[in-house]
Amino acid sequence: MARHNLEKQLSILDFALSSLWRHRMKSLSVLLVFAAVIFLLASFQMVTQALSDKAKQVLAHTPEITLQKMSAGRQESIPLAYGEQLAGIFGIRRVVPRIWGYYFDEVRLANYTVMGLEVNEMPEGGRLGATLAKGVMPGPADEAQGRVVVGQSIKKTMDLAGRTTFSLFRPDLSLKPFEISGEFSPDTDILTNDLIVMNVADARDLFGIPAGLVTDLCVYVANPKEIETIAKKISEALPSVRVLTRSQIQKTYQVVFGWRSGFGSICLLAALAAFVILAWDKASGLSPEERREIAILKVLGWETSDILAVRSRESVIVSGLACIVGMTAAYIHVVYFDAALFRPVLMGWSVLRPDLHLLPRLAAGDILLILAFTVIPYLAATVIPAWRSATVPADSALGG
Amino acid sequence: MQQIVPGAVLLFSAPWPMTCYRIETMGKYVIIECKELTKAYPVEATMVHAVNTVNLPVNKGDFLVILGHSGSGKTTLLSLIGGLTSPDSGQVFIDGVENWRQSDQALSTMRNSKIGFIFQFASLIPTLSVMENILLPLSFCQNPAGSRVLALDILAQVGLADKANAFPSQLSGGQQRRVAIARSFINCPDIILADEPTGDLDEETEKDILALFRRYNEQGTTFVVVTHNSDLAATQKGARVFSMRQAVLTPQAG
Repeated sequence: MARHNLEKQLSILDFALSSLWRHRMKSLSVLLVFAAVIFLLASFQMVTQALSDKAKQVLAHTPEITLQKMSAGRQESIPLAYGEQLAGIFGIRRVVPRIWGYYFDEVRLANYTVMGLEVNEMPEGGRLGATLAKGVMPGPADEAQGRVVVGQSIKKTMDLAGRTTFSLFRPDLSLKPFEISGEFSPDTDILTNDLIVMNVADARDLFGIPAGLVTDLCVYVANPKEIETIAKKISEALPSVRVLTRSQIQKTYQVVFGWRSGFGSICLLAALAAFVILAWDKASGLSPEERREIAILKVLGWETSDILAVRSRESVIVSGLACIVGMTAAYIHVVYFDAALFRPVLMGWSVLRPDLHLLPRLAAGDILLILAFTVIPYLAATVIPAWRSATVPADSALGG
Repeated sequence: MQQIVPGAVLLFSAPWPMTCYRIETMGKYVIIECKELTKAYPVEATMVHAVNTVNLPVNKGDFLVILGHSGSGKTTLLSLIGGLTSPDSGQVFIDGVENWRQSDQALSTMRNSKIGFIFQFASLIPTLSVMENILLPLSFCQNPAGSRVLALDILAQVGLADKANAFPSQLSGGQQRRVAIARSFINCPDIILADEPTGDLDEETEKDILALFRRYNEQGTTFVVVTHNSDLAATQKGARVFSMRQAVLTPQAG
């Protein structure tokens, strides 16, 4: 009995394969369209996951809590003296000033991110060296005046051609010279691509920020489990200050990628919907020849379940092949072509696009989601009409 | 004089109680039994009878010829007997089992194992070769090699041994009809239901096909042939001839 069932299943598979071969042009065109839809969806999912993973990995080195002064709902410079007011909060390891701003290069029409850090004062400042491809992080103002570390795109955009010096304009249009003392590793491009890091004094000088003020205060805590509690205490002590925890910043990045991914996904959904409608239209409008073929098979003693089994095997073969082709192409697109199709949508805050290499990750849940959006509608679009056709009396399709 | 013989073998498994008995009429085994069979189709606002209260016992080995004009209901009667369409009322028994009280699976198995169909038109699948078309009823059989030998033998009997690998589009209408006839014999059925089987055939081929029918009939195969060709009845010795007029079946005298 089991052997007979196995032989029957093999016969059904054989008939399904030969049926696909008999309609090879139709099968091939469906396969190609189907694979293209899966390729787009899988590429998008892979890029989004890779970017989120990368951002998470890089953000792991950011301060546990960041403080920004708010006035009328907008951010303004925060007095360094605020740091002293936090001295009474137990659990704070250190408060370090930071200046973070944007510099628009009118000549090259590029926006640079400028960050002034006191690397030596940061508890894990030494670890920042690991993010560099070469050189060292700028030290204190008296030792490293005018020294900067730049992201990969900065050198390219400024077209320094081997030079290690460049100048930026102060607000009074006087020039401030800089010397490149290091470069960020391409692995950190997602956050450092357009970044210029200098010490706080140089950043204050460049942006013309008065002494005693910075843009942010970075708070480092002794016990990571107490971050939320300490953040709450800081909020109570400094009501006019916005308190951002690392997890909130990570969430913001995830939301940014999620939003971009969602935007792209909506665009792709149109393609997906078009495919499903096409598949449904093609399959539900079974041609008279296809209806007659089903009727002939029924007359010759094929059961409705046999006909459905053939149709579902055909669909599974087509959709399985489409999945393999589509997902393989998506992987190649992301790894070897750096997701060239989606870079403009998913990457870059400024006009400088990161030149990073992505390592895609596709979890089982993502694969199931893609399958649910593609294979299931296709199976339904092919099997349901065949079932409807196979359950009506055979003579109605045969008609003399 | 009918006699119901109880305890016949239940051929198909069904989840509900089925009427299953063997009818013997004057010592002959009744393989097809139509009782009060009625089927009507809606035409505009009214229902038009295609088959009206047909009672027909067919013994195993009978050769039945049903004569009638187009639209008289012959094809519908054949579809009802073959379980291709359900009656509005009445019953059809094949080998003692009522057609429409069986599951879809059992009905399919019955069609596959007991009945060979020959349609009014060549009902071949155009993308399959002649051999593949003939082997369709045996798609799930356990001896594919033996099936091919049998198919070649039947193809030779209908004069198309050299066309096994041809496609329907490469055959004439008459040749396609002969392929369909060959296919109806491939599962060695007890019953052949044929709708205008010689319609497209030339005189010579028609004679050969009717001789083939006779040969199978002599070996015990039951034939129900519907046609408008009254000569066909004359060529089959001992054929029971009926005429169908306005959905009513009546035996022809002589």
